[in-house]
Amino acid sequence: MELKEEILIPAPRDQVYAALNDPEILKESIPGCEELIKHSDTELEAKVVLKIGPVKARFGGNVTLDPSGAPEQFSLTGEGSGGAAGFAKGSATVELEDRGAETLLRYDAKAEIGGKLAQLGSRLVQSTAKKLAAKFFATFAEKVTQAQNQEGEPAETA
Amino acid sequence: MNDMTPNREERVANLKGLGCKRKRVEDARFTQGKGNYVDDIKLPGMLFGDFVRSPYAHARIKSINAEAALALPGVIAVLTAKDLEPLGLHWMPTLAGDKQMVLADGKVLFQGQEVAFVVASDRYVAADAIELVEVEYDDLPVITDPFKALEDGATVLREDIADKKEGAHGPRRHHNHIFLWEEGNKAATEAVISSADVVAEEMVYYHRTHPCPLETCGCVASMDKINGKLTLYGTFQAPHVVRTVASLLSGIDEHNIRVVSPDIGGGFGNKVGVYPGYVCSIVASIVTGKPVKWIEDRMDNLMATAFARDYWMQGKIAATKEGKITGLWCHVTADHGAFDACADPTKYPAGFFHICTGSYDIPVAYVGVDGVYTNKAPGGVAYRCSFRVTEAAYFIERMIEILAQKLDMDAAELRRINFIRKEQFPYHSALGWEYDSGDYHTAWDKALEAVDYKGLRKEQAERLEAFKRGETRKLMGIGLTFFTEIVGAGPVKNCDILGMGMFDSCEIRIHPTGSAIARLGTISQGQGHATTFAQILASEIGISADKITVEEGDTDTAPYGLGTYGSRSTPVAGAATALAGRKIRAKAQMIAAYLLEVHDNDLEWDVDRFVVKGAPERFKTMAEIAYASYNQAIPGLEPGLEAVSYYDPPNMTYPFGAYICVMDIDVDTGVADIRQFYALDDCGTRINPMVIEGQVHGGLTEALAIAMGQEIAYDEMGNVKTGTLMDFFLPTAWETPNYVTDHTETPSPHHPIGAKGVGESPNVGGVPAFSNAVHDAFRAFGLKQSHMPHDHWRIWKTANKLGLHG
Repeated sequence: MELKEEILIPAPRDQVYAALNDPEILKESIPGCEELIKHSDTELEAKVVLKIGPVKARFGGNVTLDPSGAPEQFSLTGEGSGGAAGFAKGSATVELEDRGAETLLRYDAKAEIGGKLAQLGSRLVQSTAKKLAAKFFATFAEKVTQAQNQEGEPAETA
Repeated sequence: MNDMTPNREERVANLKGLGCKRKRVEDARFTQGKGNYVDDIKLPGMLFGDFVRSPYAHARIKSINAEAALALPGVIAVLTAKDLEPLGLHWMPTLAGDKQMVLADGKVLFQGQEVAFVVASDRYVAADAIELVEVEYDDLPVITDPFKALEDGATVLREDIADKKEGAHGPRRHHNHIFLWEEGNKAATEAVISSADVVAEEMVYYHRTHPCPLETCGCVASMDKINGKLTLYGTFQAPHVVRTVASLLSGIDEHNIRVVSPDIGGGFGNKVGVYPGYVCSIVASIVTGKPVKWIEDRMDNLMATAFARDYWMQGKIAATKEGKITGLWCHVTADHGAFDACADPTKYPAGFFHICTGSYDIPVAYVGVDGVYTNKAPGGVAYRCSFRVTEAAYFIERMIEILAQKLDMDAAELRRINFIRKEQFPYHSALGWEYDSGDYHTAWDKALEAVDYKGLRKEQAERLEAFKRGETRKLMGIGLTFFTEIVGAGPVKNCDILGMGMFDSCEIRIHPTGSAIARLGTISQGQGHATTFAQILASEIGISADKITVEEGDTDTAPYGLGTYGSRSTPVAGAATALAGRKIRAKAQMIAAYLLEVHDNDLEWDVDRFVVKGAPERFKTMAEIAYASYNQAIPGLEPGLEAVSYYDPPNMTYPFGAYICVMDIDVDTGVADIRQFYALDDCGTRINPMVIEGQVHGGLTEALAIAMGQEIAYDEMGNVKTGTLMDFFLPTAWETPNYVTDHTETPSPHHPIGAKGVGESPNVGGVPAFSNAVHDAFRAFGLKQSHMPHDHWRIWKTANKLGLHG
């Protein structure tokens, strides 16, 4: 399965990049994310509840980031297991194009899924994945914008 | 009294014997929802089992943690291979001489493989609990292609036998190789092919599919610890063999095991084998002391219990310029999945595939079959066919069509000039079979005439011209098939399963008032045995079929038999029934002679009675004789009227048939509209024409499914892509065309009543008929072979490749 999309985020590139490395923002943006722990700058652990068609499961997984091309580009690989529901493995390349006050985010992701998820959900996986990705970036853009607005105001949060 | 006697015609009609269109006695309960299937069995205190299955097609198991599952209220136990190992039950032998993991031992080899067995107080708790069992996997490279499995550096699938050079069926030449099985004369066949006028060569693939009975597999195991008796209810096509296997595996004495097959909602080969669910349920019942039920859901069934087919058949057929076939060569790469669990007679690892010379007089032939391991579910059962017979029929009927194309000859005519002639029977085929009887030319001519074959070809040619002129987007295909089956396994001298000879049995008791019970070693799964076996017996013993109970499936009461599959019930148990009936009649004759005070030889049998020769007013009916057998002391005879027969058939039977399918194919949508289907079957003596028609309709519909859309497809990761009925095609009335059935009748010379079996003919003949129609539609555009299933997408792709989309 391949996913390719681009989205315009109304925030400068360095802020977008910082947000993509901010576990709090990520946690709030990832649909169904219950837990996101940052073990190091390149290692994350996540627990996500996913529902695809008739299959609903809690996935536990690890994500490894490769920030060597930052801030223009970075890539990530990850794998997760949902127990009886199946498993998923994937990788993505994210490019951030500086457009002044805005940033164009392009991503190109490949994913392999297995188990019940693949069997039952095969017709739904692609569309669900697209929907989830869209939801993620919509929320993400919102959070980044909020964070940007808050920055101008007196600091309230840590 | 004699005045009250109905005339002879009425007496024959009253019997409802051979040839009677008797309504199925089973249907009264089936159509009212009163069947008694295994899931209807509810025992006090019964527990429920469910499997944790592998999401991976190939992975090592790092750990299994059942803590969370065991903490769930209602969960009694979680069994893993470690628990079964001390009992020696973590692996079990297969019917094909291999062994199979009962629960994953260190690694998993196919998606859906059984990893752990959860036992709970409730079906829903069990289903919840399997999600709480945490299994850590380390995935390994997956092989779903049998050709890749045999490559040099291919991943070792079966580590347990990686170094074994010798398998159950001879040498293994690669770590993923199971056997090479050969028949015929290879050198002579290759010599004929290399010097032939014409040779047609093709790879014919018969895809992996699944019997998918409406009722899935399941069982209830109940161990009574007080008296040491194990009762096992289940969906078993061979209950007696299951009892023997259960005894051998568990060490429980066979007399302490009772196996019961209740009503079964379709088997089609899926319910022949022994599955991990049975073993785990038995163990769980022994451990807990309570009955344990295990019932597959649909995904379990399609993913894990026996698949069918998956044969890659490379063929070469040689002929003279005039179309006389001179030789046939075939090499099969057979994908058996992760364990070799094919259900075939022991000596035949490729079943009876060597019936692949079909209905044709082919002087020399060779067939070789390589069995291969892959990361797919085990199985390879005979899905509504005798062992690998439908693969063989599809192969030869495709090769004939491809040869006709190469010779630019009419395929009906090519068949006709190559048929085995009537006077050649019994016919010895180049691959070693003795065809018992046949009259192919008569059947073929009848079929071609019935459909107006010449008229159809004319219409097809006109349609083609219209298509070329751009006046229509529909092509017409005429699918021809003439098939010969080999069923009724089989002679004990060469057919056995786990050492048990493939005889079958019938035991009859006549009651004092002239009704009867017959018990058989077979088991109906919808075939209507209670109807048809009573008819066989009615004609033999002169008691109306309505007064005969037929009982099967309880190993405590029924005589030992090898079960129902491979169209063997009528050829084998049906013969036993007739012969047991004849034993009854022989004793009845002695009783009648005593009662009528004449010599045995002075009596003759007349429908339902013995009559004194030359004095028709003096007779004793079977009912009178039955009564006498219980209430009179007859010198020299034991009281009662019972008989048992164990029948070892001298040969298999060879039903045949001619099927013709006509379809219109829309090249733009790929939709195939089947507008006509004619099926002529010759199954020898016809016991019940209505049951035959029902069997043919059902079998043709399964053939339609297989040919036109049904498959078990895997992706490269070994995911089963067709694990539900959303993706696995099961035809409904909507997709099912109208069928016209017909028959000729060539009795089997060696069967006591001349019957041959019919339940599987429509699957064997139907699949090539549908597929040949699709191919025939595109013949004018040079299509040689496009693999099944011919769903709309594949047909569209075929049309597209041939450049028909402009």
